[in-house]
Amino acid sequence: MQGDIEKEIVFIIAEISGFEEEEITPDKNFFDDLEIDSIKAIEITVAIEKKFKISVRDEDVPNITTVRQAVDMVQGLLAAKQ
Amino acid sequence: MTLQNSEQYDAVIIGAGIGGLVCGCYLAKAGMKVLIAEQHYKPGGYCTSFTRKGFTFDAAAHSFGGYRKDGIVRKIFEDLEIDKKIKIKRFDPIDIIKTPDYKVIFWADLDKTIDGLQKSFPDERDNIRKFLFFLSRPDPNSLIRTRSCTFKHLLDEYFKNDKLKAILSFPLFGNGGLPPSQMSAFIGSKIFTETLLDGGYYSGSGMQALPDAFVEKFKEFGGEIRLSCLAKKIRVEDNKVKGVVVEKNDFISSKCVVSSCDARQTFLTLIGRNKISYDMVSKINNMTPSLSMFVLYLGMDEYFKKLFKHGINLWFLSDYDLDKVYNSAKRGNFNSLSRYLIHISHDRKSVLAYMNTPYKNNKYWNVNKRHISEAFIEKIEKEAIPGISDHIVYQDSATPPTLNRYTLNYKGAAYGWAPIPKQLADLDFKKPSFIRGLYLAGHWSTLGLGIPGVSYIAYNIANLIMKKYKS
Repeated sequence: MQGDIEKEIVFIIAEISGFEEEEITPDKNFFDDLEIDSIKAIEITVAIEKKFKISVRDEDVPNITTVRQAVDMVQGLLAAKQ
Repeated sequence: MTLQNSEQYDAVIIGAGIGGLVCGCYLAKAGMKVLIAEQHYKPGGYCTSFTRKGFTFDAAAHSFGGYRKDGIVRKIFEDLEIDKKIKIKRFDPIDIIKTPDYKVIFWADLDKTIDGLQKSFPDERDNIRKFLFFLSRPDPNSLIRTRSCTFKHLLDEYFKNDKLKAILSFPLFGNGGLPPSQMSAFIGSKIFTETLLDGGYYSGSGMQALPDAFVEKFKEFGGEIRLSCLAKKIRVEDNKVKGVVVEKNDFISSKCVVSSCDARQTFLTLIGRNKISYDMVSKINNMTPSLSMFVLYLGMDEYFKKLFKHGINLWFLSDYDLDKVYNSAKRGNFNSLSRYLIHISHDRKSVLAYMNTPYKNNKYWNVNKRHISEAFIEKIEKEAIPGISDHIVYQDSATPPTLNRYTLNYKGAAYGWAPIPKQLADLDFKKPSFIRGLYLAGHWSTLGLGIPGVSYIAYNIANLIMKKYKS
């Protein structure tokens, strides 16, 4: 399950950032490595919210800087939903 | 029979609005083989000018923003050396908003704007500063909050005074067609920052100079543009774009297609319902397009020129209830005429005035155009510029069907999809994952509108394509 979630998130990041999926490894930093600006951050957040039917808490967003943190957050929200 | 053109392009762009042109220039500059196909005989989309009886009128866009240091339009102009082709000046003051009780002025100098607002609304002194500072330098973490709420939410966090909230929202209504209670806080903030705080820029000889300069650069970069060339089909096979069919059934093969035109038409007509899922068709049918507008063009006599020192945007709002104002605009109620913009041209020789309206239909406008124009002029005369009708030497107008005819925007929509929170940042309208090689740039991409908005999207799309191209 973790794998599927990660795959979906990596796909979204790839679509928005233009980086290949293989390049988007868990440790990659959104801002330093993947050229994510504040508008792309909104695009990614909205896409993740739509895809997983979750609401990301605004206060959580500042703590998310890497792909792994994003996957963990989505997993946490999905677990809380169940 | 479709004629096969053996030459393959790296990218074909449909539409030579600012979005299509910015995208095309970056791709051509990167060495890609690019073709732009535009149905109109001149480039620009909503950013064109036309000449009648010696008067040059901007058709819709009448100034632009995002040109501060670090602004997206500035960056693009510098990257593509557009700034070497046109002389850019700035209106100062940028915008004046008049209501029955207040006159609020937006100056090029932010402190001066804040100072004026504070004098008009002393109880909101600190909030005004905080709000305008947030908008002029939004930190990413605060900006992320704006994705899901309305501009009204944002205003309510800062202000108590309803009149001030209406005044600060009105230019967004005029630049996005929605009241604050419906407008996405993100889009609202962007419009505010890019067109009010950092707006009022103008290209010396008229707005047409912008697309013309882009076209010139595009050709210098080796790009090819075909005007009066209507795209008829985007050919898709196995969920991948193959190229574009244009007039005379000429097929242009291409690795990717950027549709910088109406999104409904892109999916439902150019690609075709049989190539997209039922869910996508029903999603498109359930989306809300933005309002259109009625534009009045007035050519003025020499005396009029003396009344103004320089070009300016004047906003008139006679009712602070913007929900009411919106509902009246949506219904096409022209009796109250409680909201409109007057733009005095840079040479003060002409006036452009507009108000948001629904599409209605051709017949409606054929019957009503004349008396709506007259009522509009009467209103301007009464509220804004006394005696204006004595100085009008030429008069013309554009209705929603006119906007549709020149740009093919669905129902003459002035701002793409209505910028409501639930229609924000939808990837299906920027880079749909179900059709490889298809990108959408322009104000239907749900990420921004106006010249700065579409410039950002187009720059972004060009970067996505260039990354793909390099790999």
